[in-house]
Amino acid sequence: MTELVLSDVSRRYGAALAIDSLNLTVSEGEFLTLLGPSGCGKSTTLASIAGLDQPTRGRITFGGRVLVDAGTGTYLPPEARGFGVVFQSYALWPHMTVENNVAMSLKLRKVPAAERNKRVAGALDLVELGGLAKRYPGELSGGQQQRVALARAIVFRPPLLLLDEPLSNLDAQLRQQARVWLKDIQRELGLTTIYVTHDQDEALAMSDRIVVMRGGKVIQLGPPKDIYRDPQHPFAASFIGNANLLEVTGSAVTEPGACTVTLADGQPIRGRAPVGGLVSGKQLLAVRPHLIRHEACEDASEVTVEFGAESYLGDHFEQDVHVAGVTIRLSVDEPQPRGPGRIWVRQQDAVIFSRQQAD
Amino acid sequence: MAFLSRTAPHHGTATSPPFDRARLIQWLIFLVTASLMLAPALPILLQVVVDRPLYADDWQFTFGNIAQIFQSERIGRIALTTGLFALFSVIIAEVLGIAAALLIGRTDMPGRKVMGDVLMWPLYLSHLIFALGWVIIYGPSGFVTQMIAQSTGEAPWNLYSIAGMSVVAGISQAPLAYLYCLYGAVRSVDSTLESAARTTGAGPLQVLRKVTLPLMIPSIITSTALNLVIAVETLSIPLFLARPARIDTLSTFLYAEGVAASSPNHGLVAASSLLLMTLVGSTLMLQRMLLRHGHRFETVKGKGSRPMVLGLGKLRWPLAILFATVLVATVVVPIAGIILRAFTSFLSPLVPVSKVLTLNNFDKLFADEANIRAIWNTVEIALLSAGLGTVLAVAVSLVIQRSDFRFSATLEALAYSPRIVPGMITGLGVFYAAVILPPMGWLRGNIGIIVVAYVMATLPLAMGVIQPAIVQIGRDLDRAARTVGADWSDAMRIVLLPLLKPALLGSFILLFVFHLKSYIIAIFLMAPGLEVMGVSMLSLWTNGDVGVLAAFAAFQIVLVAKLLLLARFLFKVKIYD
Repeated sequence: MTELVLSDVSRRYGAALAIDSLNLTVSEGEFLTLLGPSGCGKSTTLASIAGLDQPTRGRITFGGRVLVDAGTGTYLPPEARGFGVVFQSYALWPHMTVENNVAMSLKLRKVPAAERNKRVAGALDLVELGGLAKRYPGELSGGQQQRVALARAIVFRPPLLLLDEPLSNLDAQLRQQARVWLKDIQRELGLTTIYVTHDQDEALAMSDRIVVMRGGKVIQLGPPKDIYRDPQHPFAASFIGNANLLEVTGSAVTEPGACTVTLADGQPIRGRAPVGGLVSGKQLLAVRPHLIRHEACEDASEVTVEFGAESYLGDHFEQDVHVAGVTIRLSVDEPQPRGPGRIWVRQQDAVIFSRQQAD
Repeated sequence: MAFLSRTAPHHGTATSPPFDRARLIQWLIFLVTASLMLAPALPILLQVVVDRPLYADDWQFTFGNIAQIFQSERIGRIALTTGLFALFSVIIAEVLGIAAALLIGRTDMPGRKVMGDVLMWPLYLSHLIFALGWVIIYGPSGFVTQMIAQSTGEAPWNLYSIAGMSVVAGISQAPLAYLYCLYGAVRSVDSTLESAARTTGAGPLQVLRKVTLPLMIPSIITSTALNLVIAVETLSIPLFLARPARIDTLSTFLYAEGVAASSPNHGLVAASSLLLMTLVGSTLMLQRMLLRHGHRFETVKGKGSRPMVLGLGKLRWPLAILFATVLVATVVVPIAGIILRAFTSFLSPLVPVSKVLTLNNFDKLFADEANIRAIWNTVEIALLSAGLGTVLAVAVSLVIQRSDFRFSATLEALAYSPRIVPGMITGLGVFYAAVILPPMGWLRGNIGIIVVAYVMATLPLAMGVIQPAIVQIGRDLDRAARTVGADWSDAMRIVLLPLLKPALLGSFILLFVFHLKSYIIAIFLMAPGLEVMGVSMLSLWTNGDVGVLAAFAAFQIVLVAKLLLLARFLFKVKIYD
């Protein structure tokens, strides 16, 4: 098993900590996504794995080989690691043809010309750019450039593929196509892949596992379905699926399970605490916009609210709802009339976190 | 060495390259630069505290040289003259340069393009040629001076004075101020700021004064500092214009004591060099302090929008005529004077030019074998120095900007250190170094010694062209090369160098032209057989052969002009653009 292991990795820039004691294991063939807002340390983590940045603490190994160990001063430069990297900017060399861009890694490895040409052609066919081999990067569209960047990163059969927001410069439609296409290639080649993005849809659609990051720390790690359905942290809930976060009051809960909290105006809501450890007093309620009902249903708490302005988003409406002095968002097929009304939240959809966890 | 252990495997199955080629190359670049920069500087420092020439035997340490400087009334007077001259010439250069940048870069003044080109001429020519042109036209027996004196009965001005020197130096340095202000500010200022001012009712000149001018302050500070340095170290202008009036500046003093004197006082020369370097160094420090928050490289990226042109209205023609008159009188006429003088035996308003036309000057010039040798030496030295200088500059710049080399800050400081060393002193230092440092001894007596001095002195100039070009190349491009298996040196060779081609060509041509007209650095390195054009011209002046000197100057003007045109049309390289 060629596993990538990050142990206790930190990266400090002056006073700022870009990565804070990160521990991570990536197994062979896995598609792992680092997901988080800008500045969360995801790109720094990727650069540390690639060898383009040096952690100030901790150790990274790949299949038993030490890539970097701040403790002993070991550092393997990127060219000695041999991982494929796709940059956000694509970083295609503008003075070389597509063919030469892709062939560079093989030339540096002194692969004989015949073999080299075969493999370059193969890689370009794989990314469906066989006909553009003689073109220069400046003559290609953004989507085509992105494919050349991928071909260049995989042509030398790296054991690990690192992708840094590779789709963020494409327009929405192209991005969706590229997502499917990229995942297909990854599966076909069985490449261990680490993917960095701030786009939750990309992360959910492509990953075997997702690492949600914030402030240089791992917030939650797990398969997409677990991350979405069972957030263990208010940030995971709000960043993926845009959950509403409300401040509520509740009593102490030590074990995970059912609990009841009250809104600022005294209305009670029954919910569940996924991690437990709640202290009595201020707590946080997370509830996803599309899980808030406007009809009574089983096992749900009823809340009196004030319906507000709606915005039309094509396949659904988003409507503001004022409750206990705050505004939450509601995702509905048809907007409710403005003014006083009621909503229902099922116990399993009302997730309660401790207030401290959010900081 | 400690740096090697970073990549060495310490435990486990870690593998690492057995031999770190990139690190080795970086250290090599560092060592070459360090020895090139320090070898000339250290002997000067040593000479300051030694009682006799370094090449003499059993010298003793002494502070006598420094004491002599501070006690000598003469040196105090010389320092004062130098200061006044520098101050006046910088004021003239800046006022002209700023006005030109605003008028040419921003207004609809007729003929601004041609005038902008003519304004650049002094920059392409050496101070020596420019000073010669002024002497021929405006000197005490100059053509125009005599013409006016004939009708009024007395000479209208005295060029051989501090004021005269300041005017000549000011005009020859105006292009530098103009360039900095034009590219650093006038062309990059967001024109919407100006449009906004105009909507509030400000007239075009008010806009220039209240909006554009304040935004130019960093460019003005930078060019002022550079011009101060140049004024302090220039030799030919004070030598031509002040020496006849028995006025000395630090540079003419150094020249007289160190080169012209029969038994040079090396201790005093070294000590005054130190004084000169301190003056220059503190000027540049002041500039850095003033611009601490400014941009490092004043590169300007076109934002796609052309700067708005301000209409001058009624002032259009009067300003154009005024500007053109100044240019013709200060730049065109002196240069025309040189050419005319080169083809005449005598130039005076009393004698019709047609009666004195001759090719004698050129015959004499090319009859002297030493002059022919000087031309070939100069071309050879300029080619070698421009080539080697460009190679060193790009190597140093890449280590500074694109590597994780541990001492890149030190390397940068070293590479820019020639800025505080006036050219004449660079030559002096290389001379000392060749005398006392055995490995440099083999350079004595061949052009290598001049090449070394030239490469050292112009390293900052070449890096000034190359560094901004490197900044324009995205870092991901070389990082991408690293990820596909290139080490640092491969990444530089495969990706950076090809993309830097235009900048390298620009640097080469700039250095070539610079070395072609250069004279000051080589003064202390002259030996029979090692003549270069500039120094030969200087001795022609000293010998009073003005006619042959004018012919030589005319020859050099044509050479430089041809080269610039060639660069512009063949390689599409425009120097200073």
